[in-house]
Amino acid sequence: MSVGLWEVLALLLLIGSGLAVVRLQNAVHAALALIANFLVVAGVYVALEARFVAMIQIIVYAGAIVVLFLFVIMLLSAASANVGQDLMPRLPWVAGLGAIGLAGLLTFAVTRFQPPANAPALGGGLPQALGPLLYDPEKWLYALLAVGFLLLVATVAAVVLIEPERIISATGHPAHPRRDKMPTPPMSEQKDEKAVVKR
Amino acid sequence: MMSLCNRGQGPGDRAQGLNPFERIASSGPAPTPYLCSAGQNPAISLQKLLSFSLLLIAGLSLAADPTTAATANPTDPLWMVGIKAFLVIFGLLTAFAYMTLIERRLLARIQIRQGPNRVGPNGLFQPIADAIKSIFKEDIIVARADKVIFVMAPLISVTFALLTFGLIPFGPKDAFFGYDPWVIDLDVGILYVFAVSEMAIYGIFLAGWASKSKYSLLGSLRSSASLISYELALGISLLAPVLLVGSLNLREIVEWQYQNGWLVLYMLPAFAIFLLTSMAEAARTPFDLPEAEQELVSGYNTEYSSIKWALFQMAEYIHLITASAMIPTIFLGGWRMPGFLEQIPLIGGLFALPFVWMFVKIALFLFFFIWVRGTLFRLRYDQLMVFSWGRLFPLALAWFVLAALVVAFKLPTATLGWLSLLSLLVFSVYVTLTAKPKPRVTPRMGAGD
Repeated sequence: MSVGLWEVLALLLLIGSGLAVVRLQNAVHAALALIANFLVVAGVYVALEARFVAMIQIIVYAGAIVVLFLFVIMLLSAASANVGQDLMPRLPWVAGLGAIGLAGLLTFAVTRFQPPANAPALGGGLPQALGPLLYDPEKWLYALLAVGFLLLVATVAAVVLIEPERIISATGHPAHPRRDKMPTPPMSEQKDEKAVVKR
Repeated sequence: MMSLCNRGQGPGDRAQGLNPFERIASSGPAPTPYLCSAGQNPAISLQKLLSFSLLLIAGLSLAADPTTAATANPTDPLWMVGIKAFLVIFGLLTAFAYMTLIERRLLARIQIRQGPNRVGPNGLFQPIADAIKSIFKEDIIVARADKVIFVMAPLISVTFALLTFGLIPFGPKDAFFGYDPWVIDLDVGILYVFAVSEMAIYGIFLAGWASKSKYSLLGSLRSSASLISYELALGISLLAPVLLVGSLNLREIVEWQYQNGWLVLYMLPAFAIFLLTSMAEAARTPFDLPEAEQELVSGYNTEYSSIKWALFQMAEYIHLITASAMIPTIFLGGWRMPGFLEQIPLIGGLFALPFVWMFVKIALFLFFFIWVRGTLFRLRYDQLMVFSWGRLFPLALAWFVLAALVVAFKLPTATLGWLSLLSLLVFSVYVTLTAKPKPRVTPRMGAGD
C-alpha cells in the first residue's frame, strides 16, 4: 500500500479533529469537530473502496447521531457553558495509558496481519455485494438478527425508562411528583399565562 | 460567546436550574444589555479558528479524494467535470433568483394580488434589484453571537444544498456535446443524496444556536426535531423502489423505468410519502415550522441580515429545486418522455430532445410546491411529529414489506401496480369514511381544552 498525499492528509485531519473534539471547551464546537472527524473517516472508507460504508458513516454518525448530540446539548444548560473545564484530574493519565496500550495493540495487529488469500470481491462494498454476505444463514444472518434484537430491547428499555407516569400508576408509588419539583416560573410568565386563559 | 468574555455574565447563567425553555423565555427581556467590553474581546481564538478550518478542509478533501474522482465519473476528463459543475452551480443560482420572482408572482395570483411587477417588464429585473439590495445592506453580526459559527452556518447551508444536484441525469450518455449530461455518476447515488441532505440541516441548526436568540434557538430546535421525525419515513419510502430496481444509481433507476414503465405506477404510496417528506425536507409550507414567521419571527434566520440572509434563502430554494428534480428522476421516468408519446410517430421524433422533459418535470413540481404554499396552512410542530411518526412511517414500512414480499416471491412486477391501485382505493375509502366537518377550531394551549 503506497502512502500518498491523501493518506498523510487523512492522518493529520483525523488526529487534529480528534484532538479538537477532546480539547475544545464549548460542547457545540466539540460536536462540530466530531462531524469533521466522521467526514474524514468516511473519506478513508471511500479511499478503501468501501463506498456504501462511507455513505452509511455520514448518514448514521455524522448525520443522525451528532444531530441527537446537538439536540441534547442545546436542551441542557450546557449550550452556553464551557463543559471542558471540570475535567477529572487523573483522567488524562488513565486515558494516556489506554491510548499507549491501544497503539501497541494496533501495531502488533498490523505487523502480524496476513490478508486472506481468497477474500470475497466486494465490488466497492455496494449493497448488492454486501447483502448476500450479511443475510446468508451460513455466514452472519444470526449474528445480525441478534444485534437487531439487542437494539430493539435497548429501545424498548429506553422508552420504559422515560415514561415514569405509567409505572407510577401501576405500582401506586408516586416517585416523581413532577408538579411540585418544577421551579416556579418568573412573575412575567405567570402573568402571561393568566392573560392567555382570560382570552 | 463564552470564549470571548468571562463566564457568569450572561442571562443564561443567571437562570440556571430552570428548564431550557423557561431559561430562553426569561433571558428575553434581559435587564442588562450583554455586550463585551473592548478589553475582553480578543477576536477569535487561534485554536478555534484552526479547528473550524479543519472542518472545511475535511469536507473538501472528502470531495477531492482521488478515488472518489476516479470512480465517480470515469468517462469524462476532469476539466469537463469542472465545467459541468460550474454550469450546475450557475444554473442553480440563476434558477434561485428567478424562483423568488416566480413564487411571488404566483402567490400573488393565488391571493388575487399583483405581485412585484414594477422593476422591468413584468417585474423581470426584480431578482437583480433584490440581489443588489441584499448585498449592500448592512451586515450585522450580533454582539452575543458565537461569531465563527454565526458566519459559517449560511455557508454550510448553501454548500450542502448545492452538492446534490450534480447527481441528476439530464439525458442519455454523451448528450451534452459528446459528454455525459451529469456531473457525477455514483453507484451509491441515493445514499449520497441522503448523506448530503442530512449535513445540510446543520446550517439551520447551527445558525439558530449561534445567534443566541430565543426565536432562533426555538427555530433550530424545531428543525432538528422535524428532521428526526421525517427523515425515517423519507428513507424507508425510497427502499421499496430501490429494492424493485436493484440499484442505488439514479441513472440506472431511470433506465429501469424506461424498460418497465414509470415507478409511480408500481410505487404509488412510496411516491406520495416521498413527495410529502421532500416538502418537509425543503422546509416548505405546510412543514415550514423552523421559520414560522408569525410565531418565531422567521425562526433560525431572525438575527441574520444582508447577504447571509440571502444565502439561507438561496439554500432553501436550491433544496426545493433539487427536490423537484429528484422526484421525477426516481418516480416519473427522469429525463425520458412519457412512453405513449413515443408511439406517435411525428411527436415522438419532435420532442425527443434530451433536456426538455427534465426541465418540464422540474417546472411542474416547482409549480406544485408553490401551489401548495399558496393553498395550505402551516402544521403545528407536534402535528408534524404525529403525522410523520404515526402515519407516514408505518405506511412507508408497510409498503416496503409488501414490495419486499413481491420481490422475494418473484411475483410479476405488475402485482405492485395492482397493489398501488388497491392502496389508492383503500385511502379514498378511508378518507371518505373518516372525514367529517369539524366544528371545533384547533384548541389553544391554556384555553381549557
